[in-house]
Amino acid sequence: MTIKQFLNERLPLGEFSAHLRKPLPKHINLLFSLGSLAMFLLLLQAATGAFLAFYYSPSPEHAHNAVTYISTEVPFGAFVRGLHHWGASAMVIIVVLHLLRVVLYSSYKAPRELTWIFGVLLLLIVLGFGFTGYLLPWDEKAYWATVVGVEIASTAPGLGDFVAKVMRGGAEIGAVTLSRFYALHTIWLPWLAFGLVGVHLFFVRYYGSSGTPKNTPEEMKTGKPFYPHQVFEDVVGMLILFVILAAVAIFVPVPLEDVADPTNADYDPRPEWYFLFLFQLLKYFQGPFEIIGTFVIPTVGMLLLLFLPFLDRSERVVLWKRPIALTVTSVSVIAIVVLTILGGASKKLETTDAAVQETSQPTEQIQEATTPDTETEEVEAGEDVFDFQLTEEEIEGAKEVEEEPQ
Amino acid sequence: MEKRGRRSFLEIATAFIGGILGLAAGIPLIGFAISPAFKKGESKWVDLGLADRLKNSRFKKVDYTFTAKDGWVKATKKRSVYVTDTGNGEWSVFSRTCSHLGCLVRWDEQKESFLCPCHGAIFDKTGAVIAGPPPEPLRKLETKVEAGILYVKET
Repeated sequence: MTIKQFLNERLPLGEFSAHLRKPLPKHINLLFSLGSLAMFLLLLQAATGAFLAFYYSPSPEHAHNAVTYISTEVPFGAFVRGLHHWGASAMVIIVVLHLLRVVLYSSYKAPRELTWIFGVLLLLIVLGFGFTGYLLPWDEKAYWATVVGVEIASTAPGLGDFVAKVMRGGAEIGAVTLSRFYALHTIWLPWLAFGLVGVHLFFVRYYGSSGTPKNTPEEMKTGKPFYPHQVFEDVVGMLILFVILAAVAIFVPVPLEDVADPTNADYDPRPEWYFLFLFQLLKYFQGPFEIIGTFVIPTVGMLLLLFLPFLDRSERVVLWKRPIALTVTSVSVIAIVVLTILGGASKKLETTDAAVQETSQPTEQIQEATTPDTETEEVEAGEDVFDFQLTEEEIEGAKEVEEEPQ
Repeated sequence: MEKRGRRSFLEIATAFIGGILGLAAGIPLIGFAISPAFKKGESKWVDLGLADRLKNSRFKKVDYTFTAKDGWVKATKKRSVYVTDTGNGEWSVFSRTCSHLGCLVRWDEQKESFLCPCHGAIFDKTGAVIAGPPPEPLRKLETKVEAGILYVKET
């Protein structure tokens, strides 16, 4: 009995194969590979993240040095971290392009409303991955971007302060925050993401591809089969994407700033590029209107996006016959792009005061409180440490000899 | 016929590209994970203290600490050995780590043996296996005395 026969007798492989070979709509194009590319990136992020976790330690004392160690000392470390870092950016780009393709071809309309809703939830998960992920290196950017992010959450009416304390795990960002962001990033969000992807894919297969608006009802099932034709195009796209990511990971070092310093007032906090639009938006709402930028616009925008299929119930699918959808989408995209560019180009603060910095003389008590309660000492990157030169005290300690009981 | 040929080609090409992708991502990831196995361990002399203090010792337990790089931290490592003065300025130092599965052995003066609390291993005073499952004797550490200080070689 061959393995194929063995499996065929036990699993419905024939039905599965027939399902994979079902024909797609006649008119379909390369944009229909974007979903598969997003899926590929999610798997790549999961794989690189799972491997990075071998060397990472989520504590303020260790996180920055662990990331430095990964980048400078572990074989393939810089490459793996590069794939993970740049893969996150690629993920945001691909997911947004996928969303725009769905809007462009009206793929969110009945009967695919649930597919859309789960897709938007996945977009939120992707942004959640970004937000929780960039705290993990515990550098200046990580710390300050998280400070601002949590403060944004705290402006939510009613529960804002509560939510911020839950996010931080206390009154301020520290060891508990890092630990819970790590748990969210590596356990909670991945489980949630794969669950939602499963449901999203189920709906995609159940309702079938929407195809482009060119398709007549008769042409919906007369195209090429999903496997191998569409899958072939998808894997070619994945290979191209991987080659680009690998090249970026090799040639563009992933930034790692100085270790987080809550007293560093000279640092100009900036978020990752995909949150720059929000960063810039916040500048336009001042005083009592702050909440419009921090809470109202993001929340309303997300709710509109989530319930888009129920707001746009027209049966028109061709874009130029949907002027409202075209206008809203175009304005939103242009606004986000412009805000992102403005946010990225915003000058860093230059102070003209000849500020005199004073460092207080720490008291004994303060020194005690800030001394890490561990027996370990951080090592600078690349430092060769195997130091057996004991101090006098250590030598004395070594001489403590115990007699075995007779 | 031509259609079937094209389909077969696409199936093979898809599997081929999938394999390339798996290897391109998998090799660095596996290398990243297993690299510690290929890292050469360093060996250094560790100061056990003044040799005079250990003179005439007979299977004395000595605990000592030293610092070594452990990933990204300089960690304080603890070790435990049995030290015997064999005379003529020579020393016999046994690691307490059982050669079976790593539990710490204890010297029994009455039985003149090292006993392992885990799986019943017994070693004689030269470290040779008398009973139990260990495949090899207790590890004997290299020693030297310099300027009156006894050193053991940590590997």
